[in-house]
Amino acid sequence: MFLYEVRDLLWIVGGCYGLAFSIGLLKTFKINKSLFQKVPLFLIIIGFVLHTRALYLRGLDVNGCPLGNTLERVQFILWSLILAFLILRFLWRLDLLGSFCAGLSFFAGWISLFFKSLDSNYWLSPEYEKLFLNPWIELHASIAIFSYGLFSLLFVVCFMYLIQRKALLARKFNKLSSFLPPIQELEVAAMRLLTVGVCFLTISIIVGGMHWSRNPELVSVMKISVTVLLWLGYCFVYFGHCTRKLYGSKFAKTSISLFIIAVASLGFVSSKTKKSTIDSDKNLIFDDKKVINE
Amino acid sequence: MIKKLSMSEATNQSLILLGSSHQVADLSAREKISLPAESIDDFYKGLGQINGIEEYLLLNTCNRTEIYAASNNRLSFEPIKNYFSSFKNIDPIFINKHFYKRNDSEVVSHLFEVASGIDSQMVGETEILGQVKKAYEDACRRKISGKILNRLFQKGFQAAKWVRTNTGISKGQVNLGNVICELARRIFGKVSNCRVLVIGAGDVAESAIGAFKSRGSQPITITGRTFEWCPLSRNKPNELAEKFGGFTLSFSQYKESLHLFDIILTSTTSGQSIIEFQDIKTAMEKRPSKPLFLIDASVPRNVEEKVSKIDNVFLYNMDDISEIANENLKSRMAEVEKCRGALANRAVKLWDQIRQQS
Repeated sequence: MFLYEVRDLLWIVGGCYGLAFSIGLLKTFKINKSLFQKVPLFLIIIGFVLHTRALYLRGLDVNGCPLGNTLERVQFILWSLILAFLILRFLWRLDLLGSFCAGLSFFAGWISLFFKSLDSNYWLSPEYEKLFLNPWIELHASIAIFSYGLFSLLFVVCFMYLIQRKALLARKFNKLSSFLPPIQELEVAAMRLLTVGVCFLTISIIVGGMHWSRNPELVSVMKISVTVLLWLGYCFVYFGHCTRKLYGSKFAKTSISLFIIAVASLGFVSSKTKKSTIDSDKNLIFDDKKVINE
Repeated sequence: MIKKLSMSEATNQSLILLGSSHQVADLSAREKISLPAESIDDFYKGLGQINGIEEYLLLNTCNRTEIYAASNNRLSFEPIKNYFSSFKNIDPIFINKHFYKRNDSEVVSHLFEVASGIDSQMVGETEILGQVKKAYEDACRRKISGKILNRLFQKGFQAAKWVRTNTGISKGQVNLGNVICELARRIFGKVSNCRVLVIGAGDVAESAIGAFKSRGSQPITITGRTFEWCPLSRNKPNELAEKFGGFTLSFSQYKESLHLFDIILTSTTSGQSIIEFQDIKTAMEKRPSKPLFLIDASVPRNVEEKVSKIDNVFLYNMDDISEIANENLKSRMAEVEKCRGALANRAVKLWDQIRQQS
């Protein structure tokens, strides 16, 4: 049954988000049918439920939070993005934000599924038992990836800010910009997302730091450097905005750049680390397989 | 199964409309035709005495005077025309020239177009729907609206709602004050949270102040080079402030207070820049993260153009505002034919239903 196949489910999830994105755009471009009114949100909710199920099933396969390969990490970030959107949607009734989020989830989700090499079956290895030995590491990884989800929503909001700002400066309002929220509200929303994202990332780094202080041999310098630099980057943006040094378009552009760096750095922060050290220690061979994603 | 009546099976049911609007009468003619509010009671009394009329309703706005009448017998325009002529003491030839006549399904179609704002001078405006509702409520209160007119007007309100929801007829603002408010909404969200400074008391300023006030803005601050006389509108800033419940600010002080405002509108005939790059730069240093919306409604301009280079400053002049209004109007006009077609179909269906129910 396809509802038990993780990859099938994820294809369907991408389809739901893609359909929500397309209908959202049709709505935006005034192809108004009353049928369309709530359909995108409904599709996003269905997609989110199936997405949750897919991650849950994969979690059962891998015996933990599914963050063992690129596909899983991308899907977890997209799941966090949609979760953050749904929470925000009830506070701030904004359908176009949903279209943007659905569009991002559709493209990123299907691209990650398209390349099968991104979804290695690491849990089928005979020695494999569990992805994370230590529950604190699992917590660290899941919070970190959730914060990436929040930063991806921040990316979407900043992107919307720049579109609206460009329309205001050019004095030309196309159909898309007509449906965007006011730039001041977008900046406030972006700042709130940044605050929550930085808090989650900080908690994740604290938890990860505690693990690293006990087992420094398991974490590479590269991973620590990239993670701390990224955290410092977001802290810089946060305090820059608080002290009114970084605001408006510069704030939006910096947030977008940071997210692109964060996505590009995913490979560094999740790569197998210190393999040689682990290989030298028989007892830690197991850990190498299990702590792939610290 | 409901059987549709063909024209040959037509009942005696009759619905007529005699009216005048901006479409057929210029302003002076409309002034002559319009019924003052205090004469409405008398007008209705006389109208009700015309033989054969069972239901009737008067729609009387600044741009339109229309009499709707319905009966289960055939109605004629002549008695209504003669009554209006004698009531207003207008020559019947003048009425022939400046009035239009509609009957049966044409009346339905016409009302749908009026309620939807398609027939308005400012295409797509929404005020007319409120005026139609008010006229209908008045007729209901007087118990002069019956089965036919009730159905007609209730369906008219539904049609108007459908048009506004499903077409772009009301999209975009076309009034300068409303365009300014719409731009402010794109920047700040709720206009009610914005602090507004108006420099000068010209007509655009007055229109914008009215639009801001109607959206629940905070008290507006008004300043001008002279509190004695404003050459653009002959309004004094203090009179304008009093009219709209705002404050006045001395012209010598406003530059030090620029940072306190979110929206600044200039509308003077000064002929030179009264807000310079350095003024806004200084103001923005005190409020860097808050956007500033500047509207220069003066010709020649009052705000130095390079001000728009400052981050978070959005400067619009009269050309920009007018261009947006014109674009919006064009897109509304493009929707008119689409609306007309859809409303005509609904009108024919409704008229068939009304006749079947008789």
